[in-house]
Amino acid sequence: MAETIAFGIIAACMLGSGLLAVTSKKLVHSVLWLAATLVSTAALYVALAAPFLAAMQIVLYTGGVVTLMLFGVMLTDQAHDVGAANLSGKRLPAVLLGLLLFGLLAAAIQRTSLPPIVEAPPASTVELGKVLLLDHVVAFEALSVLLLATMIGAIVLARRNDVQD
Amino acid sequence: MTLEELLANAWVRGLVASVLVLTGILVVAAWATWVERRVAGRLQNRIGPNRVGWFGLLQPIADALKLLRKEVLVPDRADRGLFLLAPGLLLFFAMAAIAVVPWGPGLVAADLDIGLLWVLAMSGMMLVPTWIAGWSSNNKYSLVAGMRAAAQGISYEVPLLLSALVPVMLAGSFNLSDIAEAQARDGWYAIWPPGIGLAAFVIYFTTSLAEANRIPFDIPEAESELVAGVSTEYTGIAFGLFQMTEYIHTWLSSAVATLLFLGGWHGPFLGDSWWAGLIWMVLKTSVLFVSIMLLRWSLVRLRADQLMRFCWVWLVPISLGLVAATAIWIQVAQGGR
Repeated sequence: MAETIAFGIIAACMLGSGLLAVTSKKLVHSVLWLAATLVSTAALYVALAAPFLAAMQIVLYTGGVVTLMLFGVMLTDQAHDVGAANLSGKRLPAVLLGLLLFGLLAAAIQRTSLPPIVEAPPASTVELGKVLLLDHVVAFEALSVLLLATMIGAIVLARRNDVQD
Repeated sequence: MTLEELLANAWVRGLVASVLVLTGILVVAAWATWVERRVAGRLQNRIGPNRVGWFGLLQPIADALKLLRKEVLVPDRADRGLFLLAPGLLLFFAMAAIAVVPWGPGLVAADLDIGLLWVLAMSGMMLVPTWIAGWSSNNKYSLVAGMRAAAQGISYEVPLLLSALVPVMLAGSFNLSDIAEAQARDGWYAIWPPGIGLAAFVIYFTTSLAEANRIPFDIPEAESELVAGVSTEYTGIAFGLFQMTEYIHTWLSSAVATLLFLGGWHGPFLGDSWWAGLIWMVLKTSVLFVSIMLLRWSLVRLRADQLMRFCWVWLVPISLGLVAATAIWIQVAQGGR
């Protein structure tokens, strides 16, 4: 019962802030509503007994990605003006695309046979670390190589050749 | 119903703990301003506030009453909602972080398995309201300050996390109480493992100064170039909340550094009771807190580009090296785990 109520509140926060993120008139407001969506997702992880994942969600997404997005927004035209509005005219295609994606996901979830809910003990950080670094070490390392490649690629792209450092 | 039975209830216990932590930390933040002004006075060869009450000890109350009675002005073209949200949100994240800090054996409001990560997550979150304050003020000085704070914050978070990993690896836990307990067994992590621990402590302490925007890392608030940083347009108690948050953040950094590297609440004499733990914890935290103040009033401010270079060229590689060195230490000197 308590889980259902918690899930309801968290889901309402996620959907509401997500909706506001795409309908806000100001770009900065959109980013901040996105931050609220990400924090609600972290709350969902807590409700699912995965506190480590929740903390990482906040450290990486809200602390890191949202801050970087705010930087990106500041590079756009007129973002420094608090009064400036940002309106996209393509409402109808956006709604249609959204509905299409929703239909696809709903159909996929309908077909999947989900395992019955069991009362699992909350996964401790130590167990999570063991699973990641012992059972899935190859995937873990492959991911780090991928991220490293992305980082080097970004540096190569961003580097100006005329600057000698 | 006896007091013990009442406190056994998780809701009652949480409520009592929250009220105690909130009150305690507000008292600390208020009188920290008095200590800071007295220390600043000493270092600058002047007296500092000494008129209100005994040695000026009632000065914080007078200041708080003054700020509360002043009008909170919102600039005409500011983003009103976000402008008023920012200081409260900032204080909220600082308080949320401090909730998981243990002040003695069992003296903790929320004993999380991921305590340290929670503290780092919440202090990372504080960047967002800081930036909001800068942007929503619709003032170019505030905006520059907000951008600087965000840039500095996400850069210094990297060595902060990495150097905090050293005690986490040694203790084998993210829980702040466990890390403090492990040092009763292993000795202070600032001393043992030799060299590695001290270097990690120095890097952690330096980066936490940057996270709390203290000199020499206070370019977001550089008063000689940016008026008063993100708090330029704030008045009354809204301005007061910024000041309060800064002291709470500094106190939080000192407390976490104590728990990670200086043995937490353990000390000689006094025994193992909760009040002895509280005394040691507050004493050690205060030493770090006052040394941050001494640094603030003796050092000069770095330039923004020097600050970023120092972080990425020196602090990040060194702290990465320290993490590797700690792993080798655990394998070689302690024979693995």
